[in-house]
Amino acid sequence: MSCAYAELQVTTNFSFLRGGSHAHELAARAKALGLSALAVTDRNTLAGAVRAHIAAKQEGLQLVVGARLDLHDAPSLLAFPRDRAAYGRLTRLLTVGQRRAVKGECDLYLTDVADHANGQIFIALPPDDWTWRPADPGNQEFEKALRQVNERLDAPLYLAASQLYRGDDRSRIVALSALAARCRTPLIATNDVLYHEPERRPLQDVLTCIREKCTILQAGLRLEANAERHLKGPDEMARLFRGYEEAVSQTLEIARACTFSLDELAYEYPDEPTPPGKTPQQHLEDLTEAGARWRYPKGVPDKVAETLKRELALIAELNYAPYFLTVYDIVKFARAQDILCQGRGSAANSAVCYCLGITSVDPAQIDLLFERFVSPERKEPPDIDVDFEHERREEVIQYIYRRYGRERAGLAATVICYRSRSALREVGKTMGLKEDSLSALAGIMWGMRASGEPDTYVREAGLDPTDPLLQRTLELADELMGFPRHLSQHVGGFVLTRGPLSEVVPIANAAMEDRTVIEWDKDDLDALGLLKVDVLGLGMLSCIHKCFDLLSAHYGRQLDLAGVPQEDPAVYDMLCKADSIGVFQVESRAQMNMLPRLKPRKFYDLVIEVAIVRPGPIQGDMVHPYLRRRDGIEPVDYPRPGPEHGPPDELEDVLKKTLGVPLFQEQAMRIAIVAAKFSAEEANQLRYAMATFRRRGTIDQLKDKFVARMVARGYDPEMAERCFKQIEGFGEYGFPESHSASFSLLVYVSSWLKCHYPAAFACGLLNSQPMGFYAPAQIVRDASEHGVEVRPADLNWSLWDSTLEPGAEQGWALRLGLRLVEGLRENDAERLIERRHDHPFENIDDLWRRAGVSRATLERLAAADTFRSIGLDRRQALWEVRALSDAKPLPLFEYAKARETGPDPAVQLPVMALSEHVVNDYQTMRLSLKAHPMEFLRAQLRREKVLSCEQVRALKDGAPVCVAGVVLVRQRPGSAKGVIFMTIEDETGIANAVVWPKVLERYRKTVIGARLVLIRGRIQRHEEIIHVVAGRLEDRSAWLLALAEGTRDFASPLARADEVRRPSPGSWHPSRHPRAQRIIPKSRDFH
Amino acid sequence: MIRDGGCSAPPEAPFALVAAGEKGITLTAVNAAAAREGLGSGLGLSDARARCPHLRSTEAEPENDARALLKLARWCGRYSPSLNRDGEQGLWIDVTGAAHLFGGEASLCGDLTGSLARFGFTARLGFADTLGAAWALARFADGGDAAAIAPAGETPQRLNGLPIEGLRLAPDTITLLKRLGLRRISELRRLPRTSLQRRFSSQAVAQAVLTRLDQALGERKEPRAPLTPPPRYLARAAFPEPLISSAGVETALGQLAHDLCARLGRELQGTREIAFTAYRVDGSFAEIRVGLSAPSRAADHMVRLLDEKIQAIDAGFGIDCLTLAASAAETLPPEQDVFVTQGTRAAPGHLIDRLSNRLGAPCVFSLGPRASHLPERAEQRRSPGALNEPWAEDPCPKPPRPLFLFARPEPIAVVAEIPEGPPARFTWRRVMRRIVRADGPERIAPEWWQAIGRSSRKDRPRDYYRIEDEAGGRYWVFREGLYQAQALTGVPQWYLHGLF
Repeated sequence: MSCAYAELQVTTNFSFLRGGSHAHELAARAKALGLSALAVTDRNTLAGAVRAHIAAKQEGLQLVVGARLDLHDAPSLLAFPRDRAAYGRLTRLLTVGQRRAVKGECDLYLTDVADHANGQIFIALPPDDWTWRPADPGNQEFEKALRQVNERLDAPLYLAASQLYRGDDRSRIVALSALAARCRTPLIATNDVLYHEPERRPLQDVLTCIREKCTILQAGLRLEANAERHLKGPDEMARLFRGYEEAVSQTLEIARACTFSLDELAYEYPDEPTPPGKTPQQHLEDLTEAGARWRYPKGVPDKVAETLKRELALIAELNYAPYFLTVYDIVKFARAQDILCQGRGSAANSAVCYCLGITSVDPAQIDLLFERFVSPERKEPPDIDVDFEHERREEVIQYIYRRYGRERAGLAATVICYRSRSALREVGKTMGLKEDSLSALAGIMWGMRASGEPDTYVREAGLDPTDPLLQRTLELADELMGFPRHLSQHVGGFVLTRGPLSEVVPIANAAMEDRTVIEWDKDDLDALGLLKVDVLGLGMLSCIHKCFDLLSAHYGRQLDLAGVPQEDPAVYDMLCKADSIGVFQVESRAQMNMLPRLKPRKFYDLVIEVAIVRPGPIQGDMVHPYLRRRDGIEPVDYPRPGPEHGPPDELEDVLKKTLGVPLFQEQAMRIAIVAAKFSAEEANQLRYAMATFRRRGTIDQLKDKFVARMVARGYDPEMAERCFKQIEGFGEYGFPESHSASFSLLVYVSSWLKCHYPAAFACGLLNSQPMGFYAPAQIVRDASEHGVEVRPADLNWSLWDSTLEPGAEQGWALRLGLRLVEGLRENDAERLIERRHDHPFENIDDLWRRAGVSRATLERLAAADTFRSIGLDRRQALWEVRALSDAKPLPLFEYAKARETGPDPAVQLPVMALSEHVVNDYQTMRLSLKAHPMEFLRAQLRREKVLSCEQVRALKDGAPVCVAGVVLVRQRPGSAKGVIFMTIEDETGIANAVVWPKVLERYRKTVIGARLVLIRGRIQRHEEIIHVVAGRLEDRSAWLLALAEGTRDFASPLARADEVRRPSPGSWHPSRHPRAQRIIPKSRDFH
Repeated sequence: MIRDGGCSAPPEAPFALVAAGEKGITLTAVNAAAAREGLGSGLGLSDARARCPHLRSTEAEPENDARALLKLARWCGRYSPSLNRDGEQGLWIDVTGAAHLFGGEASLCGDLTGSLARFGFTARLGFADTLGAAWALARFADGGDAAAIAPAGETPQRLNGLPIEGLRLAPDTITLLKRLGLRRISELRRLPRTSLQRRFSSQAVAQAVLTRLDQALGERKEPRAPLTPPPRYLARAAFPEPLISSAGVETALGQLAHDLCARLGRELQGTREIAFTAYRVDGSFAEIRVGLSAPSRAADHMVRLLDEKIQAIDAGFGIDCLTLAASAAETLPPEQDVFVTQGTRAAPGHLIDRLSNRLGAPCVFSLGPRASHLPERAEQRRSPGALNEPWAEDPCPKPPRPLFLFARPEPIAVVAEIPEGPPARFTWRRVMRRIVRADGPERIAPEWWQAIGRSSRKDRPRDYYRIEDEAGGRYWVFREGLYQAQALTGVPQWYLHGLF
């Protein structure tokens, strides 16, 4: 029997916590079963449509785009648009429903559907509790509703019937068929699919439990009775619907009628940026020409002129002019508002973008071939991300909404998926695992990224990996991983269209007020070739802007990004010494290690520096070969194919700039095309597989293809494997040359500022916090080590921001701002500064009368020790401030009041020890200029033969060492196989420690929990880079507590901390107070 | 005080009690091993885990802790009648004039510490002239595990050296005092009172500091509220002439029950358990305890329940005292009294109580629904008192279930169309039946989560059919397994599961 069937009612996992399969699983299964077409009908959403579209395309299967509309006042309907126009109405309908509801929901009524019904085909779904018995009230109600729907909708309407295996299916279908005939809504067969194969039922049950917030044991009748809601083949459907063959064959008619495909969504650029009467290309050329004159006042260099001509021709060929104009428009606005910005991305590093001011990387200085990034054969849309000052990005976003309207501008979504930990937690809860075991598992998975053997970490958690319940839980969690759980907004990816955006994709409200988000994420947009502009915030741009302002105010020097003197050797000297605290990108531990080895001497070296310390090159084992070649230890050599397969230098072109070692994402992709002969389509597949879907199967397939083809063409198999590993590494953190080049400019500019204007640079950094790796304490310390005089925050001399004031000797000193005072509100500080005017406050009464701020504010200022200029330390200041009455002071009644309560007798408060002051400084300002806490411990440390960080630096490779310090940063890089890097600090400097997994295991609580740590180990020295390889670690955090208490009794620092011998009297215990608990600001931990 | 009992973890393994709070799950108490690992109360469980992966934890049970503390407080009644709980973790005992009974203060403390240690509690004792000072000494005195005793009159001196936390002040106040450099009580005492007063946000806070200080020093009286005995419902009858016969006991019981129920009625209470105790002249006693399915204060019902067991009491040399106590009292709102007493039916509750008392509680139960698709799991036993609770509505309509379900489905031989046709005829208990009507299948998959770890059990769904034979008999049969999946899960088997 030959029959055909198209499944029209399919729920994917984009109906969150309902669908149990990915779109690609459904598509593959549908293809294997021989279905003629597959529709995806998620609940009130098209969020999964693009993925289904791609999956179906890969399988060569027709996808019918559709949605299930759950209405408040009518039965649920499946809607299938027949053409582009109808699709636009469907997306508009969903937009209407979502905009009026709270985030994540959709309020729709039959009227709304009727308004957008034209061109759709509808299928009505009988409710779940519908029974065939004519006497049932629900039965008659549904008939009435169905008639009403049919009357209201000016579109074909069908009635769905499914075989549910509920025991009365025959009777149901007879009754539905009769109902269909009565209401003139032809019967149509569906299987109401929830998952692609019956084996998915357990996961679907688990999803139901997560949705219903119950355990599997409690779920009971909320679960499906059987595993029948999987995809079924045409023969099976024919058997189930014997006697109703027409209901099965009708599905094909619907599929045939709905010819709309998402491929038809041709992108149309907004036309605002083009003035009337000009074509976008003309306009772009005019602007570029004007820009070139602005950038090169002495005449455009020939090479650049040549490049411009080539790029403009390519832009014309690909019709990208409107895109460049759109980005230019946004950048122009930013420039007009004096907001610093910088473009990056595949199209950004072009001479055109330089002339338009989108980037400041001079094409004359760096040789980035535009064609390499934007090529006609790959149909990639151009990609320009623009970074703005992070404090002012919102202005740009609001400008975009203003200029294009909410109807035409929307933020891309980000699909938040279940990750290993969240999946395990949810599944574990469902399976009734105790909170205890769950947190044990989750705790152990700290940064493990599912790399290790699952058994090992289960055992590590003190659980039995052979326990069947646990095993099942882990299996299910593994299946759940990668399922979407909700949509969130992308940080700044804007989609702008010429027509209404809501006719391209449904738009929903974002969690944030005044934001609207489309249903698709950036990969979906990429896949459909829709354009987006990333409007991102970057702290370093704020910092640089502030530095430029300081330079202009105090040093009389006007600068912009492109105007910073290029290729200054002093800057490179500084970087080669890894003196890079605060510098953009290269301030991380790993980057600091790389700097002395890479020894950057020119701008392109920075481009490599930024890109090389990334998972891609590290996983591909490309770093060491590159360094060896750079140092001339190894000859530069290019991998080549067998002589019969092509020119031997086919990769030379790709790899020349990086000495034959692929370092950038583009190079890896080029290798796929040039050496593995991937077609444009295959290369795109590779990109998707890496970037988004992380589908093990597909990746393995592509890997086999990649390696096999390279080997067949005579390449070294090992080299091919490594190249692919690198591509896999890029998958997680793609880092292309085009981004690196833009970042490098900021690296250079920030280094230049640090090198020549350390005071201004530190000031800019402090005023842009929080950003970067380091806390204000390290920034200040670094500045003073570079000869900057740093002065404490003071209520008479500081402004809100940190400032530069005339220095004692020459140059400028850095005055810390009141913004560093914890808990101080900006407007309080501003009022104080305004009232202070030009007359410093003389004493506490003067302050109270004039400052006009609350006593609580003054107390904060006192706690931060900012009263020194009126002769009070923090304790005295607090004593005085506490005595101020809450009422507004009136000078006239001062005397009367004093008489009433009696004069305040002079009181001698216990003197605060310096160590206590320092700890208090850390508590209130996160830094201290008075001393380093470790200084007070030095005598004790010396007795224990503990070296200072400075002494450590002088040791030889392999020497035993014992060093102690405050933990600044803990890092567990994903690429470093479970190694933890710790940076500790004492009064002489910083030291870096490496903790190997074995040591970590023994000293886990110290490594992860300690604020002050004592490390014993050995020195590992590689040229300039010194590490302490930790062997034993001791947690000495209690010493800090002792400092705060002002006691000097370090011999038994645990006396107070022993909870058992000294039972804690509940909430009265001193250590419970948050203020006392945090002696030194927590380290910044990255994992 | 750390509750260590009742958990399976050995004392040397890190263990913590946890509770869900605003900031997620946090530790509320740790044992010695966990404290050595650097864990303490207030820490988040996940942070604690990261530091100490082998940490075991159990939900804290503050109500149980409070109950245990109360029990302990009552036990301490042997030292003095004036005592009470103090916060969540403390007790105070006023032993004024009682210490000599235990051989002096030190030996009293030793006795108490020793007893508490035997019960498994870690305790610290403070002993002083004032409640406040004793509180501070117990918590903040140095000197290891020994009790901190301030000899009479030396309380102020002992207080001087203690941290100001010992003054029972609010955390904010303590923070402020410490920031002013006032860490010890002596430093606080040294300051002029007026200056101090002015430094607090309100008069009340300032007063609190001075009051606490004065109380600790004994310069101001501190009100104390000793533990009062719990309300008890007990009726008691004493007999100058000891009772020998059970008839006498019965008569007395009627009166006792009447008294007890009258008292219960006055306070709108009902009881779920009564204890009838007969004290014999020789000092021994016999007790009968009876549970009730619902709170009650019906005297005749109690009498009827006890009557059946009263015969078992051996009067011995005679009974001189009888008590009837309601040991588990609950609020029971008043009910309307019935007008007719003769010939009315007994309430089902009374019947249930009588049956339970006679047959044993597990033998009397009612059936209730259980949310399961599997027919044999769809019902469950529940307490007979739940008789009147309605059955939950099924969210999805199901075809009718048979009235009679076999405890174990019986295998049958079936002739049916493959793959999913209903039986055409079947043989059950050697009789062949020809089917004339059939409906189905209703497919019910096994509950996979029940089968975890039981690999022997086959994961086969059942297809149920309702069928009717020529004689009009209706059956509920199922086929376990699918013909389509025969290759994987074996040949399907047919069973008869119920009769309509």
